[in-house]
Amino acid sequence: MVQAKIKSPQPYARARPRSTVDWSSYNSRDFYDEIIGTGGRARPATRSLVEFMRKQTIKHLISRQQAADLAIQEMGVSFTVYSEGQNIDRAWPMDIIPRIIALQEWRVLEKGLIQRLTALNMFIHDVYNKQQILKDKVVPREIIESSPDFLKECVGAKPRHSVWSHICGSDLVRDSDGTVYVLEDNLRVPSGVSYMLENRAISKRVLPQLFDRNSIEPVADYPSQLFDMLSSLSPRQLKHPEIVVMTPGVFNSAYFEHAYLAQRMGAELVEGADLVVGSDDKVYMKTIRGLAQVDVIYRRINDDYLDPEVFRPESALGTPGLFRAWRKGNVGLANAPGAGVADDKVVYTFVPSIIKYYLDQDPIIPNVPSYLCVNSKHRQHVLENLENMVVKPANESGGYGMLIGPSSTKKDRAVFADLIKKNPRNYMAQPALRLSTAPTLCGNSIEPRHLDLRPFVLQGKNHYVTAGGLTRVALRKGSLVVNSSQGGGSKDTWIVDTEAN
Amino acid sequence: MLARTAERVYWLGRFLERTENTARLILVRHHAILDLPKEVQPGWDLLLQVLGAEQTFASLPGVANEKNIIGFVFGERENPSSIISSLTAARENMRTTREIMPSETWERINSLYLSVARRSQRDLPRGMRHSVLNNIIQSCQQITGMLAGTMNQDAAYQFIRMGRNLERADMSTRIIDAASAGLMGKLEDISPYRNVLWISVLQSLSAYQMYRLNVQSNVSPRDVLEFLFQSKVFPRSLAHCLIEIENSMQLLPDFKPARQVVTKVRRNLGATDCGELVDIALHDFIDEVQLQLIDVHQAIANTWFAPADMADVTAG
Repeated sequence: MVQAKIKSPQPYARARPRSTVDWSSYNSRDFYDEIIGTGGRARPATRSLVEFMRKQTIKHLISRQQAADLAIQEMGVSFTVYSEGQNIDRAWPMDIIPRIIALQEWRVLEKGLIQRLTALNMFIHDVYNKQQILKDKVVPREIIESSPDFLKECVGAKPRHSVWSHICGSDLVRDSDGTVYVLEDNLRVPSGVSYMLENRAISKRVLPQLFDRNSIEPVADYPSQLFDMLSSLSPRQLKHPEIVVMTPGVFNSAYFEHAYLAQRMGAELVEGADLVVGSDDKVYMKTIRGLAQVDVIYRRINDDYLDPEVFRPESALGTPGLFRAWRKGNVGLANAPGAGVADDKVVYTFVPSIIKYYLDQDPIIPNVPSYLCVNSKHRQHVLENLENMVVKPANESGGYGMLIGPSSTKKDRAVFADLIKKNPRNYMAQPALRLSTAPTLCGNSIEPRHLDLRPFVLQGKNHYVTAGGLTRVALRKGSLVVNSSQGGGSKDTWIVDTEAN
Repeated sequence: MLARTAERVYWLGRFLERTENTARLILVRHHAILDLPKEVQPGWDLLLQVLGAEQTFASLPGVANEKNIIGFVFGERENPSSIISSLTAARENMRTTREIMPSETWERINSLYLSVARRSQRDLPRGMRHSVLNNIIQSCQQITGMLAGTMNQDAAYQFIRMGRNLERADMSTRIIDAASAGLMGKLEDISPYRNVLWISVLQSLSAYQMYRLNVQSNVSPRDVLEFLFQSKVFPRSLAHCLIEIENSMQLLPDFKPARQVVTKVRRNLGATDCGELVDIALHDFIDEVQLQLIDVHQAIANTWFAPADMADVTAG
């Protein structure tokens, strides 16, 4: 009788080779990649991330991404898109592979951001008061006076600390040679900070292993910093000034963020109808105990809608009399009305001279070279080179109404050439930057995608800059548009101290 | 706290309780029907009566059979008293008061909503019913527990608690009303099952076990009604709900006129002889109580959600 030969099991034999992340096929071509340097090697600050990912299978990464998506759904991290006449609440898209910046580089950018906001606030205060910079002809008077964001009603106002833009979200981009530029300043009601905080919360949930191996700057401090900054704006010197967050309401695209920040600060979240301005020109909110005086309003509602007595009379979102209360110094408003005069895309081109004028310093972070269409020489250049240009309206945000030259059709360009000729003051153009990339999980592979960075800068009595900011990534291949309303996603942003490793 | 926020969390409390009670209601109907022979089985349309949703149901396509009625009460968004509608409203009220809610409770209600929304697109066959409905009940209880365990017991919490108790009181009266209607059929058909039917009334309110513990006698209509209307120890009895509301009110500003309204209802209830509430008298009595509960709601709204003196503000 022949007995079948039984093979002893081989416990240490490897099964099929697992398909792990293979960086050799990752190629960001001639773009600067934030994670992978020349020759497919990791950068000093990204070494441990790259090493970690090399050991993971794609399947595992996809399962982590799914865990992140589920967490986002359950946490209800969403943004609202207005499309086809309907409001749709969409889950916030976040790619699990973080974007990393070395602490040493970040320290420089941080200084640059503070320098920039300080100068811009001095500029706004000057423009609404002495107008010295216009008298000295550093910025042409007609640019200010023709700007729809210059609010006559604000002339002569003197907010506390002479600060107008208390919360600023500047967009930074990196070109192919590694230089970081300021693409634009958002001095009115910049949004996105709650997503920065939630992205970190999600990374910690789904990739906790990575936090052991890196020395990553925490970001969770922001709400308390914001609270302190807002407190410094209170007209009444109280130990606990009444601070509220004012939202246009539950249908606003950033409602999630308004509720989030109010919650984290322990502030009331109010709508226009919850507030009332008394004949004493003070602001009160309607509570279950009757009226309670409000000291500082972090308003997330545009100037236009703030106060129907002064601005749009048909606005039902604001509170009648709010502006009057602010002018009298009875309430702090962050940001102050009229701050938008300095983030006009035309004024943007003057920021380097503005910094020089007020601080006598060179800008630490450069501006992207810009062409003003109102200037006939510049206009000529723009019209001749439309396919290499990004053309923007001077005062729109959210990526609407832009021409991206390299990806435009002949017809798009003809339309914009017409628009520019009709209303040159409304347009400015910049050479299309070669935006940096970072590895992003796209379906079943890891591919380079373009991104930018929005750090948040606070200025009240003191300054504060978030550690990193919100990284937005264009999820479509080759696309440069990172706005979440236009199919953009996001990444957690890590400021990593390489010397601590 | 803002008057508007107070109103939203109050409705959060109501809708969360309504979600839970509706799930209980379907579950108990489901079990009762399995217990009884066909001739005396109360129809599924009793569910529609309890929820006052007969007209809405009739306006939609589909005959009144088990599958359609369950679907209508569970997952029909056109039906304002369905589980999915109540849960949507509860979630919306929490979403818009997130700034004061412990974030884990928001995550819980949101994930409950997502799972019910997914489930509501399909039928709820008998085999699935228990686990799906039980999961809803447990999740609601979990949220209530999280709120009790992690939220400041300040004004906001009192509004949730008032909403919960008022809704519970209202739902209890509906359940008793509808169930007792089923007890008024031809006596000779019903009498062998009378006990089972009264037990199912108790079960609809999760009261059976507590009834046995507390009353320690067999099931009699008078005892059951006394327990459900007047017990001071059973948390789902009307009297207990009203006491809870009074207790919450006392922690809020300017509570006296509103509390008076509640106290009056509670005293009327206490003075009622439940032995006399048979057949039509019971129905009329419940109608009266429901109107009084509406007065309670109105008193809460007038006192805290829209204080009259806020319209004309001046120097304070």
